[in-house]
Amino acid sequence: MLNVAAAVIAIALAADSAPSLTGTWNMGLQGGHVVPVALVLKQEGKTLTGTISMPTQHVGERKDIELTGEFDGGVLKLSGAVDGAAEPTTIDVEGRLQDDGSLAGTLSMIAKETRRIEWTAERLKERKP
Amino acid sequence: MSTLSRRAVLRGLGATVALPLLDAMIPARAAAAARQVRLVCIEMVHGAAGSSAIGMKKNLWAPAATGRSFDLTPTSLRALEPFRDHLTIVSNCDVDPAEPYTASEIGGDHFRSSAVFLTQAHPKQTQGADVQAGISIDQLYAARFGQETPLPSLQLCIEPVDQSGGCGFGYSCVYTDAISWASPTRPLPMIRNPRVVFDELFGVYRSGATQEERRVRRQEDRSILDWVVRSSSRLAATLGPSDRARLGDYLEQVREVERRIQRVEAANGSGEPRDLPEAPAGIPDSFSDHVRLMFDLQLLAFRSDITRVVSFKLGRDNSNRVYPESGFNGPFHNASHHGGREDRVADFARLNAYHAGTIAYLLERLRDTPDGGGTLLDNTVLLYGSPMGDSNQHNHKRVPFFVAGHGGGALEGGVHVKAPNGTPLANVLLTLLHRLGLADVSSFGDSTGALDFSAPAVGG
Repeated sequence: MLNVAAAVIAIALAADSAPSLTGTWNMGLQGGHVVPVALVLKQEGKTLTGTISMPTQHVGERKDIELTGEFDGGVLKLSGAVDGAAEPTTIDVEGRLQDDGSLAGTLSMIAKETRRIEWTAERLKERKP
Repeated sequence: MSTLSRRAVLRGLGATVALPLLDAMIPARAAAAARQVRLVCIEMVHGAAGSSAIGMKKNLWAPAATGRSFDLTPTSLRALEPFRDHLTIVSNCDVDPAEPYTASEIGGDHFRSSAVFLTQAHPKQTQGADVQAGISIDQLYAARFGQETPLPSLQLCIEPVDQSGGCGFGYSCVYTDAISWASPTRPLPMIRNPRVVFDELFGVYRSGATQEERRVRRQEDRSILDWVVRSSSRLAATLGPSDRARLGDYLEQVREVERRIQRVEAANGSGEPRDLPEAPAGIPDSFSDHVRLMFDLQLLAFRSDITRVVSFKLGRDNSNRVYPESGFNGPFHNASHHGGREDRVADFARLNAYHAGTIAYLLERLRDTPDGGGTLLDNTVLLYGSPMGDSNQHNHKRVPFFVAGHGGGALEGGVHVKAPNGTPLANVLLTLLHRLGLADVSSFGDSTGALDFSAPAVGG
């Protein structure tokens, strides 16, 4: 009986100590240069929801894209449709939590053609402006 | 021979020409010698190749050695070698207030950085009139030591800065265009046109002449000195030989700068196609011609003590201007996004070296101009840098920065100080404020304390 209780406690502690991705991430899209974009995530259990602010073709403008997905076993997978795009476009974000607490992975922009971009992200130290 | 006031001027119809420091101004001269340090703050955008991983390894900005035995050869500062005894290179500092604080600020680095350079304060994200940053170092100095000159300070720039409203990422264009802030809510406009600077310095605006009268006078191709010829002849007759020579040399310098402006206006008004078709006629198409003209105007302003404080913005974020005189023909912003490729980092470093090299012209002119017991360079603090570090990453770490001049004995010079990792650039600016005589300023921006410019080397 005691062993069962200990196991339950251990599982509960492990769940509590599992890192949550909830928060704001400063994501760098590794194109010809590093394009910083905001990735804001909310994690509930394994479920992830969030927003990615993608730059548009106009300098200084961005477009928020809603994402849904999950975070399991250190791997995150998110997907969302780009509203108002000239052709149906989906954004897939895949990545893995790194030992140093950062994230890294690949972002795919899927339309008639698919474009893949490597990315890394660090948690933003949010401060009052 | 009676004593001449330091504020004596040559006055004529439509012009007021301030005078250089003359022996006849003693004891004004003795008083002036006590505190006449000039402050020049120069900002360049887009960071430097030397702030990238490859660039640091290759010492493309800061030299390898700290202390006094530094070698500028591989660095973007190599054109400043003749002035090494006047250089205080401070490397490895960060401009954290230019980093994003919230999700909505991520990606807006180009649109807020310039407001941070001289304030070291984090700008409020707004496109409205409720802009907010901090008081800039030049304005702190001008408020304390610039009130006895006709112009407390002068704000100059090279690129167009006349956009209104929002520039991007929810930031007002004011943050992109202004580096001088008289208060946290009052950015100061920058002057791009050398003609406007000239007329401002020599009292044309204060003369009461209308815009049309000023235009007609320009078309007459006459000199401002023609308007004060009687006044200058009268004064010359009262001066000793050395003062007469000094006055003559100064007026010739005024005339020479005026001639260059007139030549630019004539060329740009000829109807020939221009490289900068949107620019007013007084603005040279060539970057180096424009910068040199602005430097010569600053020199005249210092010689005549019209002002002791100048801020000068050499570039504009996101600008894709090409600088053929650098030997590299790629556009500036694109070049700053070098992707970490060694060949492209080297190209960007050529641009950085070209930009920093333009400062040598002013340093030479300052060094060749007697002032008090030494030269103007001895009595100047010139700071140059960028609020961005590795522009390929859009970060604000290990930003390019140096100081030139001895600041009237406040700076020893001839030294490279590598700050400990994570040191705010604000610590350097706080130290400069103290050395400039504002010892009572206890903090500046995100400073954590003053920095010892003669500190033992950290790292190597």
